[in-house]
Amino acid sequence: MARRVVITAAAAITPIGHGRDKIVESLQKGISGIKPLREDELLSRYIHSKVYGTVDYPVDYDFKRQYRKTMAPCSYYACQVAKEVLEQSGLTEEFITSGNLGVAFGSIHGSPLTQRDIYRTFFEAKDKKDYQAIGAVDYLKSMVHTTAVNITKMFGITGRVISSGTACTTSSQSIGYGYEAVKFGMQEAMLCGGADEYDTITVAVFDNLLACSTAFNNEPKRTPRPFDNQRDGLVVAEGGGAVLLEEYEFAKKRGADILGEVIGFACNNNGGDLILPNLNGITKTLQLGVACAQINPEEVDLISAHATATKMGDIIEAQAISEVFGANPHIVGLKSYMGHTMAACGVIETICTLYMMREGFIAPTLNLEEIDERCAMLNHVQSLMQKPVKTAAIQNFAFGGVNTILLIRNLS
Amino acid sequence: MTRQEIEQEVKSIFLREFEIENPQMDKDLRETYGFDSIDAIELLLEIERFLGSELTQEEKKQAMDIRTVNQICDYIEKMAKVRGLAKEA
Repeated sequence: MARRVVITAAAAITPIGHGRDKIVESLQKGISGIKPLREDELLSRYIHSKVYGTVDYPVDYDFKRQYRKTMAPCSYYACQVAKEVLEQSGLTEEFITSGNLGVAFGSIHGSPLTQRDIYRTFFEAKDKKDYQAIGAVDYLKSMVHTTAVNITKMFGITGRVISSGTACTTSSQSIGYGYEAVKFGMQEAMLCGGADEYDTITVAVFDNLLACSTAFNNEPKRTPRPFDNQRDGLVVAEGGGAVLLEEYEFAKKRGADILGEVIGFACNNNGGDLILPNLNGITKTLQLGVACAQINPEEVDLISAHATATKMGDIIEAQAISEVFGANPHIVGLKSYMGHTMAACGVIETICTLYMMREGFIAPTLNLEEIDERCAMLNHVQSLMQKPVKTAAIQNFAFGGVNTILLIRNLS
Repeated sequence: MTRQEIEQEVKSIFLREFEIENPQMDKDLRETYGFDSIDAIELLLEIERFLGSELTQEEKKQAMDIRTVNQICDYIEKMAKVRGLAKEA
């Protein structure tokens, strides 16, 4: 039994704003969320990359102590966007707690800030008593499914829990597996997304692999530069996003505002190297996604590319897009606005795509001034376009060789 | 330490750690204040800090039946006595 699945609510906290109006404004006006890397009194002074996609505005959290006590910063992002999505959805408390709603939500490795505190306590401890500073809740704050279960606890959600922790495909998998759970009748609705907090360990990892941007440390807004000749690597970022998926007939019957339909999802693995992008693996993912959606590739008119702005990654992705979709679809690299929000990038880029569909515009890839000739076979967007979007693809690829594609259709 | 000092410390722990101001002494903590298993573990750590000594596994097990603030004070009083810390008011 395959059912249609629609997205009926969306919310995000991103380096370019919190909420729909602010995010749309940033996309339309070309506002970047890249700022100088914040001092963390641990790694920031040793990292060559001095830029970061930063959430530097206050978020008005209103969580009671009974919830706060198991929440690290990534769960604050997660619970806030979940709260906004549930409020937007108009779902009743009876439905939310009925078992018919599940959660698919993750972060790349729990809460690195909490883990850092645990290690600091451990290495600075002088005697046995000092170890007591490791709190009883530190595991609950830092475990890999901490975002998902803080959401279930806060809203009394009793359906299935899926918590992918697959680096940059974490939240695209959340949406994909949520889509499959609803499509095949295992849940009526799924709250899906991902969140990651400010963290310099992730920056250090990419920095040591020479994958981080360093050439624009004094001009943060000029990086990252997907598909551009001067691109010199990714910019790590923080944020969170959530969408609500539900079965189409159920959504229609209750008069929900349908933002888009998920028409396909695919996920595979390169089956080899854990770091390098793989043309065959990525091409296969895109083909599987198109087959799942039962459409012709020509029907896709917008692609949100993973486009981290690494030297090789962008070229491989461009080749895969060209092979599967040709030169027709408009291409945008949304990380040019906010950097790489890690576990949140799939859902945030999906939400930006939904906003573009709803408003009828396509945002340009920022900092794309001179297109790398090896990526030039695509239809890159370099200035704001007013244009309706019918069908879009959101592509994400992760360390570990995991690839995903989501396909979304505009029903309005 | 006297019973009064123990009660004062417990109230201060409740305010500082659990944001519960002036808890009622004989109310069920879970039902009235949403006090849960995570809070119970944190409370045992606070009691160890207050007593200035570790609780044994056996002593910690004795705390599992505690339901009210009064019972927490009884428990601390008992642990203080074992350690020669208790004093009549």
